[in-house]
Amino acid sequence: MNSIIICTIIVILAPFIGGLVYGIERKVKARMQHRVGPPILQPFYDFMKLVDKRAMIVHSAHAFLGIMHFIALWFAVAVLIFGGDFILVIYLHLMATALLIIAGYSTRSVFSHLGSNRLAISALAYEPVLILIAISVYLTTGSFEISSIFSMSTPLIAKMPLAFVALLLILPIKLKKSPFDVAEAHQEITGGAEIEYSGIFFEFLYTAKWLDYVFCYVLVYLFAANNVWLGLGLVAATFLYINALDNSTARVDYKQMLKFSMYVALPIAFINLLLTILK
Amino acid sequence: MNQLVLVLFILPLLVSPLLLVLPRKARTFATVTTVSILSLISVYLYFRADETISIMLPGIVNTIIAGADVILLLYFGYIAIQRKSLLVGIMSVLQLGGVLFLLTKMPHHEANQILVDKLSLFMFLLINIVSGVIAAFAIEYIEEENCSEYRKRFFLSVIMWFIGVMNLIVSADNLEYFFLFFELTTLASYLLISFRKDEESVHNALTALWMNQIGGIAILGAIFMAVFTPGYGEITFSSLIAKAPTVGVLLPFALLAVAALIKGAQMPFSKWLLGAMVAPTPVSALLHSSTMVKIAPFVILRISPAIHNTMLAQVIIGLTAFVFLVAAISALAQDTFKRILAFSTISLLGLMCLMAAIGSEVAVVAALLLIIFHGLSKCMLFLNAGIIERIFHWKKASDMDKLGEVGPFTSLIVAVGFMSLLLPPFGAFVGKWFSLETIGAGLGNSQVAGALVISAIAIGGAVMSLLYFKVMGLIIARSGEKDKVQFESMPILFSSSMYILLALIFAGIISLPFMMGGFFAPVASDVTGLAVNVQWSKLTMMIGEAQLPIIPLFLAFLFLPLTMIIAMFVRFKGADRAKEYMCGEKVEYRLSSFYFNTEKVTPYFIAIGIIFFIGIVTVAII
Repeated sequence: MNSIIICTIIVILAPFIGGLVYGIERKVKARMQHRVGPPILQPFYDFMKLVDKRAMIVHSAHAFLGIMHFIALWFAVAVLIFGGDFILVIYLHLMATALLIIAGYSTRSVFSHLGSNRLAISALAYEPVLILIAISVYLTTGSFEISSIFSMSTPLIAKMPLAFVALLLILPIKLKKSPFDVAEAHQEITGGAEIEYSGIFFEFLYTAKWLDYVFCYVLVYLFAANNVWLGLGLVAATFLYINALDNSTARVDYKQMLKFSMYVALPIAFINLLLTILK
Repeated sequence: MNQLVLVLFILPLLVSPLLLVLPRKARTFATVTTVSILSLISVYLYFRADETISIMLPGIVNTIIAGADVILLLYFGYIAIQRKSLLVGIMSVLQLGGVLFLLTKMPHHEANQILVDKLSLFMFLLINIVSGVIAAFAIEYIEEENCSEYRKRFFLSVIMWFIGVMNLIVSADNLEYFFLFFELTTLASYLLISFRKDEESVHNALTALWMNQIGGIAILGAIFMAVFTPGYGEITFSSLIAKAPTVGVLLPFALLAVAALIKGAQMPFSKWLLGAMVAPTPVSALLHSSTMVKIAPFVILRISPAIHNTMLAQVIIGLTAFVFLVAAISALAQDTFKRILAFSTISLLGLMCLMAAIGSEVAVVAALLLIIFHGLSKCMLFLNAGIIERIFHWKKASDMDKLGEVGPFTSLIVAVGFMSLLLPPFGAFVGKWFSLETIGAGLGNSQVAGALVISAIAIGGAVMSLLYFKVMGLIIARSGEKDKVQFESMPILFSSSMYILLALIFAGIISLPFMMGGFFAPVASDVTGLAVNVQWSKLTMMIGEAQLPIIPLFLAFLFLPLTMIIAMFVRFKGADRAKEYMCGEKVEYRLSSFYFNTEKVTPYFIAIGIIFFIGIVTVAII
């Protein structure tokens, strides 16, 4: 009973937690560049500021799809935290991304279209890897339920370290971090699919990004499961790795990103699957 | 019951010649009434027929069938001479020789020629309801075709008897009958593809003809092997499958599978289905959704009890997994809307045959699900492509970037159609069953191959979703001025067929949790011969060993298409409107998308496909 209450609280607070992660991230990134950086609560100040802005939209369907993207993503995060079916979670996340991609396509805006094209390619780059990881997890635990990971004595990372490596390789794509931030690429396509959102409507996309942080770091945490300290350590290490990577690399184009995923990340996930089968 | 089944066979064949002479209004009336009756009968039969219906036809029918075989093959020979096609000629001579040889040598048994089991009833539903909608749609579509009045009637007439032949082929138990109906569907596809009579149509129709004739030769080979392998004797599906474990010769099944996979346009035989695009759109809809290509998963399902867990099944699984992946990739290279749809059909057919070949309870349920939902969605998408051609005169996906503005209803249908293709079959649903089944079956001893198949499916699924997004992206764009959506008007037969299909898809999704136990499971248990248990525990549904979180899944299924529909009507009145951001520039632009170039690798794909086909026959001989 207790765990259900805890899960509910985490799900409800998920956007808030994600916002905090984002705040810390901006601070850490700034410190890496020897800047002072914004206060940790800066994302929330931005949030409040956006509420006050005049609401401008291109057309209603576009604005509505943005809102649905947020709702779908929150649902995916909820199923993940409640320990639901792994493949279902991946699928729900894809569905949320689909809504954003469709939203980007639904206007006659050049940058929005470019962004959606690239988002779709990104989804192609990380989705198969995630599915292979999910199948490896299934072979190890005997169930697709994420909660079954918590009933194992040894943490997942000890059983399948390669899967963790594959996850680390695709996380920057999922979080739209350099070198794989083609889908957003502010200097190039000015934010991609989110460009036509503003004011209160942008708020949904802005918070959806926070939810994405929660989603990704919970995935990382799963590799430690019961071992809380190991889990927190993994999350912290991944967090530092992603920000260091973001700070130190230049953007590659989408073809290079796809090739990297197909020739490096996917084979690693595949080898991991083979090892799991042969065990 | 028996009489009702006979109505399904005979009514379309009787109405078909009538359509050649009736005036327009009477034609419409006759077509709509006939397909309604057929649909009602198929529904009634499905829910009322508890036992397998077997019909013993009088001996005279056998003679008629044999005569029809010979006449049909002579006609193929005539086509070969008329069109100067060497390949068709060779195939016809080979087939004719085979038929004549078998007719003289074949021992005659008193066997049931017609056997209607749950699987046939299931196929009746798909064939009659979906093809019925297409037949009604075709009346309106063909009106604007640039051809003589007689040709128009001829077109509708062929569609009608095609439905009858399809009803027959899914109930044929006797392989000799099966061969004739198989060849008749080949004939129908030839007539329909060559309908426009220009050079390209005729050329593609001949390709379809000779490729499918290879399938016919394979069936003759199967009959030959069944007759001359000691132990088999009777050449009916039911007796072959029953005797397969004791006799242990799999070659007849391998040859039947080859015939099926050719009909299902699996590589390297994908060319005929791609060529079929030149025909009027209702033909594509018919070939892709409810008839022709669905023979492939149907036959594999039929023979799956015999090949379950054999090397033969594994080679078929390998081939279809391969096709699933490369056809999805090839689709990304296409620009013509219908060609994109065609490649996605080939790809999905691969998936259906794969699951049918696995042949376990859960895989069979998954295959059935895909057959139905793919039939509905593809039919809707193709008919919609027909509407786009007729009303807006566009054929290329890249031309359609204004569709979202001038034809919001059509663009909405495309979006919902693609989503319904994406959702029930992919993502969570089947993906998981797959992994369970392929690994569970362990693919015999080669688990590496199992892992490869799973990876092919994971990547293929992702490529497929990318494909759908890409096409959707081109057709849903609207500028800010078009905030209020006004649906375009279209002829009633067009819009009503769209509404019927939409309603069927939504009804299918909503009733899925109930249909799983009441609709799909009985068919699956009939196919596999094992009890398929569907149980519920809280929000989870258990089919055999597999668990499915059905309620969340089902919510998710509805979520995406409903969101698309609601997005059409939502209006935020309070918010101000802004123009799209263009860096302050004012330039003309067209929206476009990305393409993958697969021309270089296509020969390799085909070569690998050929190797797999040779493999199917080889492992059966060993």
